[in-house]
Amino acid sequence: MNYPFWVVPIIGSGWVIGIVAIIHILISHFAVGGGFYLVLAERRAIKLGRSDWLEYIKKHSRFFLLLTVVAGAMTGVGIWFSIGLTSPEATSSLIHNFVLGWAAEWTFFLVEIAAILVYYHTWNKVSQKVHMTIGWIYGIAAWMSLFIINGILTFMLYPGKAWLATAGTGGEASAFWSAFFNPGYFPSLVFRTLICLSLAGIFALITASRLDSKKQGALKEDVVKWSAKWLMPSFLLLPFATVWYFHSMPSANRGLFKRGISTIGQGIFTQITREAVYLVAASFIVFVLVYFLAWKQPKAITTGQTLIILLLAFSILGAAEHIREMARKPYVVGDYMYANGTRVSERENFNKNGYLSGSIWATDAEKHDWALIDNAEENRASERNAKTTVSNSAVLDQLFAVDAASKKRIHLRGELMFRGQCMACHTENGYRAMRKLLRGRDKVSIESMMKLLYEFKNDSIYRAFMPPLVGTKGEISALVEFLAGITKR
Amino acid sequence: MAKSKSQEHKSVWPRTYDWLDERLGLKSIAAFLSKKTVPVHKQTYWYYWGGITLTLFIIQIITGILLMVYYRPGPEAYDSVRKITYEYEFGWLIRSIHHWAANLMILSVFVHMFSAFFMHAYRKPREFNWWTGIGLLLLTLTFAFSGYLLPFDDLSYFATKIGLEIPQSIPVIGPILASIARGGTDVTELTIQRFFTLHVIILPLTIFLFLTIHLALMLKHGSAVPDSETAKPAAARKNIKFFPDFFFKDFSMWLVAAGVCFFLAALFPPQLGSPADQLRPAPEGIHPEWYFMSPYMLLKLFGRIFPGMFGALLSVFIMTFAVIIWVAVPLYDPEGKAAKRARIIYYIGVAAAASLLILTAWAYLDI
Repeated sequence: MNYPFWVVPIIGSGWVIGIVAIIHILISHFAVGGGFYLVLAERRAIKLGRSDWLEYIKKHSRFFLLLTVVAGAMTGVGIWFSIGLTSPEATSSLIHNFVLGWAAEWTFFLVEIAAILVYYHTWNKVSQKVHMTIGWIYGIAAWMSLFIINGILTFMLYPGKAWLATAGTGGEASAFWSAFFNPGYFPSLVFRTLICLSLAGIFALITASRLDSKKQGALKEDVVKWSAKWLMPSFLLLPFATVWYFHSMPSANRGLFKRGISTIGQGIFTQITREAVYLVAASFIVFVLVYFLAWKQPKAITTGQTLIILLLAFSILGAAEHIREMARKPYVVGDYMYANGTRVSERENFNKNGYLSGSIWATDAEKHDWALIDNAEENRASERNAKTTVSNSAVLDQLFAVDAASKKRIHLRGELMFRGQCMACHTENGYRAMRKLLRGRDKVSIESMMKLLYEFKNDSIYRAFMPPLVGTKGEISALVEFLAGITKR
Repeated sequence: MAKSKSQEHKSVWPRTYDWLDERLGLKSIAAFLSKKTVPVHKQTYWYYWGGITLTLFIIQIITGILLMVYYRPGPEAYDSVRKITYEYEFGWLIRSIHHWAANLMILSVFVHMFSAFFMHAYRKPREFNWWTGIGLLLLTLTFAFSGYLLPFDDLSYFATKIGLEIPQSIPVIGPILASIARGGTDVTELTIQRFFTLHVIILPLTIFLFLTIHLALMLKHGSAVPDSETAKPAAARKNIKFFPDFFFKDFSMWLVAAGVCFFLAALFPPQLGSPADQLRPAPEGIHPEWYFMSPYMLLKLFGRIFPGMFGALLSVFIMTFAVIIWVAVPLYDPEGKAAKRARIIYYIGVAAAASLLILTAWAYLDI
């Protein structure tokens, strides 16, 4: 509760992360696979005595350097900026639990940056052996940064029993390695490595397609065909890696994929299945396109065609990452922290003492007013021995008559609840808009829905994707008031 | 007969090919196709749209057949589509692909038609390509209109009802035609059965006939080229073999189109509205699908200027006149030798494309 709530209208903060992250993932995976591509292509060109090929690799390395270092670094910082603002609690947890991991990742990243700069600037200036050694240093450092970040990413899907047993006790560091090498670690590492190699091939096709078919026909044919081969490991192994990855997931997460097989009736809850369907079809199309455009007609391939392949690869990667995000719902860190930043262990306390009781985003005067309302509501309820609660607005009218400032304070309570608990995934009137999702519901109906979310029963349809609603009765009533207000706007 | 040594050493695939070739004459087909060439120039990408349309049509046939396994025309139409969308495994996907392939096919038919127009693919000797092409466009639109009613939800019911008011407004024969289409005075289960028959039997048979002629003529006459290419000396023009060179590129574009269709189908599947209810008022802001928005806007526009029957008649007349002009284009500019006529035709094409775009956009802004 010590962090600000980030309001991003229309697209929501989640999409800011999504857009930045998908671009970053595309570039960073290329950065890993592309390192091996450069050094292996150089080795092949030297072995064949092809100076023209070496010249092409030099040009490709400039493109590689500019794209991965400039755009990669910018989007990398963008990810930290956006996740820090959207999911501050989760970001904080990741930083605190993986201090050693982050330190190692940044060390490898530094080596990576230095190595690629040296690699590019030493073309034709050092011996081929030394130059290739620098290339290998880059490739290994880049893959090691994937090796580490993969541990942290898969930790978020499921940290494993050993770490969960220590979570919140202060002894999390003792379970560092089991958290790092969590059940999803190795399938994900294989999966991502295969993606890296494919992207290395696809980006090389883009630069190779620019070679002049008339003047450099033989070179274009050789480079395009050799680059197309970089998709072969994925073509052969990706289906197995995907199945392995799928089976490493906790059964509850796997169950999310089954929802959309027979229906689209649950809207966004079935999106994960639909994205998986697209992923399989589009991956197949990419391989067939590479076969026909690059392998069968290497000289005739155009930049436009390679950009279409890249666009498809980009959409696949976007779908895959979105699936990964959706598959860990309702958590942001499996079984530990919900998607809205509420820790599983905090739920009881928030329900008892209030979600906003420790918030620094409300003044003492506001909290005082809220306490007055809650007390009045409790008294009225006990006096009447009634089961139903009196709405905040009714109490408000009694307590403060027409005091606009007080009404504003009540409104703020609902708004802070919305910002804290809903806004990580929803917007008021944009992506996953509350106005649209609650359309046609009156206050009683919204109250019933909030009750479902609060109770978080095992058979609840929302439980698979949405975190439980936490807070006192008064806070939840304020949220209901706020949501009812949104639907009327 | 003893096998030759070379035959004995052949692997499975060449031997299978030889076996098939002996019976089907594959080599002669390949030889015929390899003699065919396709011009290569800066606008070659327009040539892909015919193949893209055909691919989407094939997708329509496959998904249509799969939908027919569970679809029941008549009183159970709505319930069967509800089950396809919300109960049967991947039923939603088949329906969604069918829906999106239909939309994309209409789009690609229009793109193909205008690209053919601006490349003068209607000129001698391609007049019949042009006419069969227009026939295919009209058939595609009729496919879309007849298919739209089949789920029989409130949206499809009212859209069909409004749609049938267009032929209804034609004097003398209009009411008879509309009544035949409806099977009575209102859109009912009888209309579904008629539309279903039209959608799965009459239109496919007719479209196959048109398609066969269209493709055969395309193979005979080859692709038309833009003016910039015609101006070049023959030696300066570039061509590639249709098979395999162009075919591989074309096939790749078909796959890209299929990918786009799959993307839309997986991520934006069409839902099903409430069951059609003749007693309920039409949903607010109801309008036809995007491809009928321009004639819809024309009807609205003239209806406002000339309220009553005259406005409707005038707009139907303008639409009919536009189709007649479009059909008559090859007769007016048969060889492109008359520069003035060619220029007029060019302006007609620009005006037609602009009218379609402007009226469609206007219709959406006017909802």
